[in-house]
Amino acid sequence: MTAVVRPAGRGQVHTAPKTRTDAKPRFVATTRPALGAMGALTIFGFFVALLAMASLHSVLVNGQFEFDSLHDRLEYGQERSQVLREEVARLESPSRILAAATGRLGMMPPPNRLYLPSVVPGDPLRPLPPPAANPFSLRVR
Amino acid sequence: MSTGPEATTGTGRGSSRDLLRRDAQIRLKRRVLLVGFIFAVLAGLLGWRLVQLQIMEPDRYLERGLAQRIRTVALPAVRGAIVDRNGVDLALSVPRNSVVANPSLIADPTAAAMALTGILNTDIEVLESRLSSDRSFVYLERQVEDEIAEMAMALDLSGIYTQPERARLRPGDGSALALLGRTDIDNNGISGLELVFDDLLSGTDGEMIVEAGLGGSTIPGGEYRVEAADQGRTLVLTIDRALQFEAERLLAEGVTAAGGKGGVLVAMSPTTGEVLASATVSRGDDGIVRPSTEHRVATWTFEPGSIMKPLTMSAVLETGTAAVDTTRDVPSSVFVHDADFTDSFPHGTEEWSVADILRQSSNVGTILWAQDLGEEALYRQLLDFGLGSATELGFPGEANGILLPVGKWSGTSLPTIAIGQGVSASPIQMITAFSTLANNGLRPIPTLVRGSLDDEGVFAPLGVGEQVEVIPAGIARSVVEMMEAVVSDGTGKRGQVPGYRVAGKTGTAWKPLDKGGYGEDKDEIRYVASFAGFLPAEAPEIVILVVVDEPARSTYSGGRAAAPIFADYAQFAVRQLRIPSEFERTGLDQVGRVMATTPAREMSILAAEEAALSGIG
Repeated sequence: MTAVVRPAGRGQVHTAPKTRTDAKPRFVATTRPALGAMGALTIFGFFVALLAMASLHSVLVNGQFEFDSLHDRLEYGQERSQVLREEVARLESPSRILAAATGRLGMMPPPNRLYLPSVVPGDPLRPLPPPAANPFSLRVR
Repeated sequence: MSTGPEATTGTGRGSSRDLLRRDAQIRLKRRVLLVGFIFAVLAGLLGWRLVQLQIMEPDRYLERGLAQRIRTVALPAVRGAIVDRNGVDLALSVPRNSVVANPSLIADPTAAAMALTGILNTDIEVLESRLSSDRSFVYLERQVEDEIAEMAMALDLSGIYTQPERARLRPGDGSALALLGRTDIDNNGISGLELVFDDLLSGTDGEMIVEAGLGGSTIPGGEYRVEAADQGRTLVLTIDRALQFEAERLLAEGVTAAGGKGGVLVAMSPTTGEVLASATVSRGDDGIVRPSTEHRVATWTFEPGSIMKPLTMSAVLETGTAAVDTTRDVPSSVFVHDADFTDSFPHGTEEWSVADILRQSSNVGTILWAQDLGEEALYRQLLDFGLGSATELGFPGEANGILLPVGKWSGTSLPTIAIGQGVSASPIQMITAFSTLANNGLRPIPTLVRGSLDDEGVFAPLGVGEQVEVIPAGIARSVVEMMEAVVSDGTGKRGQVPGYRVAGKTGTAWKPLDKGGYGEDKDEIRYVASFAGFLPAEAPEIVILVVVDEPARSTYSGGRAAAPIFADYAQFAVRQLRIPSEFERTGLDQVGRVMATTPAREMSILAAEEAALSGIG
């Protein structure tokens, strides 16, 4: 069994040869260039799509990693702020200041106290600003 | 391979080859069939397994798969902080690590215990016992400092870990401890305000459901649900940290100086009933006076003694029994029922007005007017001032005090109760009564809490009840004027505060003994010295009650033991609260002079302005 493949020009119409009784039948496989190109394009497109999906997945994984990392940082920030808040309150506490003054600094209570008048020209203290939204709240995410 | 027709028609040697070939073909066919059959059986088995997995019991493997990937992470609610009226932290929860162990992974518990005992504050025997336990989890020490946890982990012992927790800390050490209360190691309130507002402070735990891979990293696009924890609310108290600390310090100094067994100092805003400071001190076994862990301002009762007299006199004035300047003869003693009542100082029969009687704290004069007033009127008045029943403070273990109904009074009840004996009241009841006088006769609702903040910082005020009119404003002003004379020219001179008009009353009560009665001889008698007052008398902004329990005999009176503490504390308080003196108040009229303020005061002013505007609207 033999097969003859005839190359065909682009856009050429291929027809099977007329049957001749004296000649052995020949199987002629023909390819259609447009279909081939489409097939090639399809395969190419398929692989491009795969690549794009892989890239997008990579971006997604990176984004998720970054999100996890931010979440961890947020938790750490929240905990750290609590620790620092406690430290500030402890450092500002009258008992610590008194202990430091009379202990480390060697200060003595005065025999008499002179208080400055509480009426001053111009009030240096302003009221507290309105409370801002908690930047660490999980509810706002 | 050619398949010509001649290949199948041979004879002779060719025929035997054909036979062989046919046999080979048959064998090949059988083999092919066999292999095909095997593959078919295998495919059938696989197919059957697929049917089993996908159709017959899909949930089992689905669940196993989910269990491998889905993680539920608990999001514990953080217990809310407790802050003072200016937003200063008094108690808050901070992250801490606990050192824990899995004893099954520890090869040599003794060696591990020896290594850890130098770092942890736990006995080596206890450590060894815990590390030898059969359990797979034991605490070695909970909520340790970060440095200690790091040192423990630096030993690199197998089976020793750290576990994050939250510790409840009070940055001010023992200040206001009796008021704030405590939590247990698991952050549940067990006393004080931590217990009262436990639900509000605790919040509700949340959880995060996440689909994670092998290394614990989140699978993108997978399951991810967060139910955020409802964080505990921040409790905003009415007390001022500086006022609280100074109250404890000055009270401890004063009680030490007076040789007392303990003492109480409480300060209140008369217009709002907000408690600004609430201190209790007691003398320890070592003889040192220090802040107590019991909030005796609410839980302790005492016979108030002469600080009851302004309340008695307010009833005398209100019922029209007498006016401020009504006079009568007051002897040095009076016999009622079966007892003699005398004044604390000798005098002949004097013609004293009601104001004079109060200024000199005359027992006899007060009893005489109380007899004219009558039992029922006195009892009603004291009830209206809030005696005999717990206040609205809502503190655990708050005392009711004792004010027996008139039907149970004996023949000496009227004279004794009129001068503050035979009746008991808690410090919070007495300061509420004095706040009523300072607040033009309106009894404020005592409170320790202004409100709460959520985790977004939104403030929700605590609802307080309506103020009740106990006496008309005019009567209250008359009593205040009489009390001013007590401080300016009476028994309470040591309660004077430079620059301010002060109204107050001293009290020196006999303390009932455990065996009953007040004691017969001088060595047996115990006293409770007190001073209740407020300033500025013309527009009171702070009411202060000081009680010294069992002062030494040399300084047993309220004027000597308690009034100086009042004066020292009041001088500090007026500065802290920016209450102007008379001179400073005059100066406010000048252009360009303004009142220095505090954040809390500014908020109160704004709230008052808003209330006024809404009232107009």
